[in-house]
Amino acid sequence: MKNKLFQRVVCLILSVTLLSGSIGLTASAASLKVDTTGEEKYPYSASTLEEMQDLVGTLSYDEYLASFGGTNEMGAGVISVDVLDVIEGNGVLVSASDACLNSMNDYPELWSGFGAENADKSVYLPSQGSTTWKVDVSNAAAGLYYLKIEYYTPETSESSISSIERKLKIDGKIPFDEVSTVKFDKNWQYDNIDVVTSDAVGEPDSYNVEYTDKDGAYKRITTSVRNGVKTVTTYTLSQDINGNSMAPSPSALPSWSTTYVKDHSGYYTGYFSFYFAYGSHTITLEAEREPMIIKSMELVPADNTSAIPSYEQYIENYKANGLYTPAANGSIIEIQAEFPDLVSDSSVAPTNDNSSAVNEPISSSAQLYNVIGENSYSSVGQWAAYKFQVTESGLYNLGMRFNQSTLQGMFVCRTIKLSGGAYGLADGSPTIPFAEAYNTTFNYDKNWQSEYLGADVTRTAQDGTTYTEREDFLFYFEEGVEYTLYLECSLGTLKSYIQRVEDSLAKINSCYLNILQLTGTDPDEYRDYNFVKIMPEVLVTLLEEAVTLMEVKEGLEVLCGTNGSHIATLETVAILLNTMGKNNGDEIAVNLSQLKSYLGTLGTWINDSKLGSMKVDSIWVVPAEQDGEAFTAKEKSLPRANANFFQTCWHEIKSFVSSFFVEYDQMGLTTEIDEDTHKIDVWLATGRDQSQIWRSMVDAHGGFTYNTGTAVSLKLVTAGTLLPSILSGKGPDVYMGLGAADVINYAIRNAIIGIGGEGVDPVFTTERYTYRDAEGNYTTTTEYQGETNLTFVTKPFNNVIEGNFADAAMDTVTLLNTSYGIPQTMAFAMMFYRMDVLANLGLEVPESWDQLLSVLPVLQSNNMSIGVSYISALDFMIYQLGGSMWKYTDETKYSSEYAGARIDLDSNVALEAFNFTCRLYTDYSFPVSFDAANRFRTGEIPIIISDYATLYNTLVVYATEIEGLWEFCSLPGSKRADGSFNYDSLAGITANVILHGCDDLVSAWQFTQWSTGSEAQSTYGNKMVALIGPSAKYETANLSAINNLSWTASEKEAIMNQMEHLSSIVNYPGSYIITRYTQFAFLDAVNDSVDPQDAMTGYIEAINTEIARKREEFGLWVPANSEDEPPELSATPID
Amino acid sequence: MSENTTDAKRPVKRSEVSKLRWTWQEMKNNKTAYFMLAPFLLLFLIFTVLPVVLSVFLSFTDFNMLEMPNLKGIQNYLDLFLNDEIFILACQNTLIFACVTGPVSYILALLVAWFINELPPKIRAVVTLVFYAPSISGNAYLIWKTLFSSDSYGWANAVLMKYGFISSPILWFQDASYVMPLCIVVALWTSLGTAFLSFIAGLQTIDRSLYEAAAVDGIKNRWQELWYITLPTMRPQLMFGAVLAITNSFGFGAVVDALCGFPSVDYAAHTIMHHLSDYGGARYEIGYASAIAVLLFIVMISANFVVKKALSKVGE
Repeated sequence: MKNKLFQRVVCLILSVTLLSGSIGLTASAASLKVDTTGEEKYPYSASTLEEMQDLVGTLSYDEYLASFGGTNEMGAGVISVDVLDVIEGNGVLVSASDACLNSMNDYPELWSGFGAENADKSVYLPSQGSTTWKVDVSNAAAGLYYLKIEYYTPETSESSISSIERKLKIDGKIPFDEVSTVKFDKNWQYDNIDVVTSDAVGEPDSYNVEYTDKDGAYKRITTSVRNGVKTVTTYTLSQDINGNSMAPSPSALPSWSTTYVKDHSGYYTGYFSFYFAYGSHTITLEAEREPMIIKSMELVPADNTSAIPSYEQYIENYKANGLYTPAANGSIIEIQAEFPDLVSDSSVAPTNDNSSAVNEPISSSAQLYNVIGENSYSSVGQWAAYKFQVTESGLYNLGMRFNQSTLQGMFVCRTIKLSGGAYGLADGSPTIPFAEAYNTTFNYDKNWQSEYLGADVTRTAQDGTTYTEREDFLFYFEEGVEYTLYLECSLGTLKSYIQRVEDSLAKINSCYLNILQLTGTDPDEYRDYNFVKIMPEVLVTLLEEAVTLMEVKEGLEVLCGTNGSHIATLETVAILLNTMGKNNGDEIAVNLSQLKSYLGTLGTWINDSKLGSMKVDSIWVVPAEQDGEAFTAKEKSLPRANANFFQTCWHEIKSFVSSFFVEYDQMGLTTEIDEDTHKIDVWLATGRDQSQIWRSMVDAHGGFTYNTGTAVSLKLVTAGTLLPSILSGKGPDVYMGLGAADVINYAIRNAIIGIGGEGVDPVFTTERYTYRDAEGNYTTTTEYQGETNLTFVTKPFNNVIEGNFADAAMDTVTLLNTSYGIPQTMAFAMMFYRMDVLANLGLEVPESWDQLLSVLPVLQSNNMSIGVSYISALDFMIYQLGGSMWKYTDETKYSSEYAGARIDLDSNVALEAFNFTCRLYTDYSFPVSFDAANRFRTGEIPIIISDYATLYNTLVVYATEIEGLWEFCSLPGSKRADGSFNYDSLAGITANVILHGCDDLVSAWQFTQWSTGSEAQSTYGNKMVALIGPSAKYETANLSAINNLSWTASEKEAIMNQMEHLSSIVNYPGSYIITRYTQFAFLDAVNDSVDPQDAMTGYIEAINTEIARKREEFGLWVPANSEDEPPELSATPID
Repeated sequence: MSENTTDAKRPVKRSEVSKLRWTWQEMKNNKTAYFMLAPFLLLFLIFTVLPVVLSVFLSFTDFNMLEMPNLKGIQNYLDLFLNDEIFILACQNTLIFACVTGPVSYILALLVAWFINELPPKIRAVVTLVFYAPSISGNAYLIWKTLFSSDSYGWANAVLMKYGFISSPILWFQDASYVMPLCIVVALWTSLGTAFLSFIAGLQTIDRSLYEAAAVDGIKNRWQELWYITLPTMRPQLMFGAVLAITNSFGFGAVVDALCGFPSVDYAAHTIMHHLSDYGGARYEIGYASAIAVLLFIVMISANFVVKKALSKVGE
């Protein structure tokens, strides 16, 4: 009996193996993964074919619902999931989690809202890994359910600036595409809010808001007296010495929230329903970003009866409850939008806008934060919330002064949510008061507008017919209750249109790829491809989508009342599709390249339409005016929308004049620099945003100046300024972000101070301690005087780099055993791949160049290709094959003065690498020149090797329609002569350096190590993302900082794995000549079909001559003739 | 009044004093003019004359921009002519370039100006703008980069592939055999610049009565009119245009950089100007770069001299 069972099991396993073997390439790919002992494992297991196919095969929500036959079977009764009973995964009880306990110990204030009793009742889900629970559904209860989750947003060592994201799986599978990323809001609060409560017995209840601009800060002060308690809330936007506003820092406000799993793309307004059949199920949350704590998870029967009331019903409710009353004596409450109480993510931030003279406040010389919004507050789901009270109960309108000048001829939408009083849920979560609040619209105008919030609402006329009419919303507010108004970016009524265009784009794109497989990128227009026989469905789709786009276009025109250029784009595309689909597809070949560019246009159209970008200056709570039975919004109570002619003139003149006096390089300076303070000059040549972030980090409480007492004058310069400034002796003390080649160039000419290695200044090898006494005076000594008041430890060079920087990175800033800088950024190439394309073709992600080339024929037969920049391929291939660019670099054999005296490109390994790289472009026809982002987007080049941060940042904003369809992983490896595989990528460095002429070496050294330290680097990277958005990912060189940057768990793993496989080309004198001649050789081989090895060997002598010439200039060893070799060190190393 | 009587009011005669004193005297007399001239003169001396003098000095040193220079004698010049193959190549390229673009663009400018001058004033204004546009609109030549992009979607490649002339994209600006001709074409396209405007201005200033007089004297056709009247009359403009053409064609570099990258493949479009910035910029060898600059300066001055001689023959 047992034997039989065993046989069955074996049979089953065998049959499964055979089945998977029949997928073909899977098996062949797997067989290539021979696990020889000592062989280097592929550093990052990219998604397997199966995973990719799963992902591509996932249903959309509509399809998911349809797959149950559009069932109306609702679940019965709330089913609780026992979250403490984790059946699989790494979720642990909060009281058993080290990360939580440590955080509770170190920062108890972050856990004040947590409630100690919850430690044993809730589960901590780390930022990586997954957690699975079990739920049993009884026979009677089978049906559709909402998923309700109560969660806490903890701040632990794993937290970063991102929002919480989880992949939701039911029974081990993602039920539908939209929940492959479920976002959980974190609340963010700016650190500029200060609440003071005091007793005010006997004082009458009151509420008062005032704005002041004094003591070098712009403030909103809200005074509220309720029941003998006076609460003064002060919001401060502090200013630098020149009166410019300084960005308040957002900090996550850990708190409990309850949410239903819902859509974050803005296409579905309700909650998602999940179908649970009779039986036992598992629910899995797989971590994408950020840790979270879960207290309860419930399946709530999906319910389509208790829908949100329409505006008409909502007003009827007021009438029925006697709340349809005026607030005749209520005063107007002004809320300046630059002071949000809570924001959805850290990038929703106040900003400066001087486009109108009546923006409040306005300054002609300084940059005052006076609005919120523009680009940082435009993606669906982002919100800002404002707290307010009213002075008399009654009906109010909400007004707003705003500027929506981006979406021409269209409108942007905000969803109004409210909490407080009768609004919102019991736990304070906000809700939508009536259905029309989903699409509060803001129309296009190039000028500023002052309008009441409203939308088209459906009304029933006396005769029973319905009509729509724009209505200013009325809200009932009760005196003395604190309300919170949430303004959330949404798509409103646009959502169905945008969704249709997005579906359409996906279909057209697949048509394009289908056609491409037949014709290639350059179809012959005189050839009859016979599309109508071969792919009739493509023709039908093209025509169908032309109709769809026209419908959408017409629908939008009706909706917006105009036909701006934005909407007209759709028509242009539709006409082309129509042309291509007609006449049996005769026009397809001619128009194919046009179609490709229109695919990009449509993608951009979707991106633009989804971004509800607008600037908000102020929000007004205005008592509604009674007009007989009805109420209307009070006219003339809102501020002027635009300045008059004279105001504008005066403002512009003042701005022009003051532009001569503003010291832009002092942006953000908070203290006047006087004679006594330590002071260093730091230059950087990045953008303004970047320099402001550094500025704020230097000046922050607990920032560099606070900890060391050294003032920093941070100057934003253009890149070429450093050289002339050194020449004239007016250079900085520290320069941030100098390219590795320049570091060596300057170092060898004695312009940079050596900080590591033998014979450097003792400053860099001594440990120092900085103490801050009660008066704020600083002493820096070499003697340790205990932990008390210790603010900064200046570590010796070796300790600074230990474990923080890759050897490859340090090599590029080291010359003759002396290091000249600390790396700041590190760029390297990684491999990006389109999961959907590979899955459709049944291809595994290649792990080695052999595999890559075996995948290539399949791609090429589908008219696709692989994109690798030849400039980087030429270099990393040499290192992957175990070669080196330079001769005599082996420290065990040669003394360092000989390193780099000759080029090693004539070695067998290097020539082989060079030959291989050239053949990629000649024999294998890789494109030499290509637009990476565009071709990756269309899927023509589904595998691209490119610098990871650059391409990632481009794709994130440029190609949102393929979001989630691509990933990146380590480079494919090369098999070395000894049989092992190597996956090295090449590191490109910029470094922070200390320049000659610096007279305060200690301070400069402190700054250098502070700014490249893991804390500053991760803060900087996160602030960049917070300020600029997800496309501002920062490629830090500090290995330990990566952990805290806002990459997803899998991205982080990929990057860190590649970081362990890095090489670099050391910059010896004359190194500039190498790239030049290798490129010449490469182009000779590609253009003129010269044999690659001959081409390269032909340049060797020229390179060596140039290197020799350069070395002679610096008095380094130069081989006397071609036979001359440097002396080898004695075989036994000398200790 | 006798010659010997001393009279303070009597103007000093040129022959009576040394040249230096005479100049000084004249300067004193015209001090207002010199005062007015001073701001420009000062700037000119500091920013134009001084650097030229300095670079002549630096060309005898090994200055590297960061450290104090050491004297090297004429070593830089020896290296330049005897040890630097690429310099010889650059000279060759520059000469080809200057010989083609210089005269062609000059003649082109002259002819176009001459034709345009015949048009009615309103149309003339429009046409002038059309021809002048490429050179005022800054980096407009970058459209050539799209036109001749190496990508298979670049215009030229796409068209050629469409009609079956080629099967794989040509790397236009990265292929040594195309680089030079393409750059010359682009240079000609942008060359109708200031010189062209000055020619139009020159043509406008010609006194009509001269033509009438010439007609009386027996001029037979428009060519004779052009050669004997028009050109000699606008000789200053011709000179100005020639100087510009020379400096432009010898100093041509930025366009090549933008289109082909630096350096161009196999140094195919590497001019003296590039060689100069290669040593001055990438290698920090300002001494050597100065030597190149001095040579380039001498070449330009001599070309100028030759052109001046040639222009004096116009109309003879």
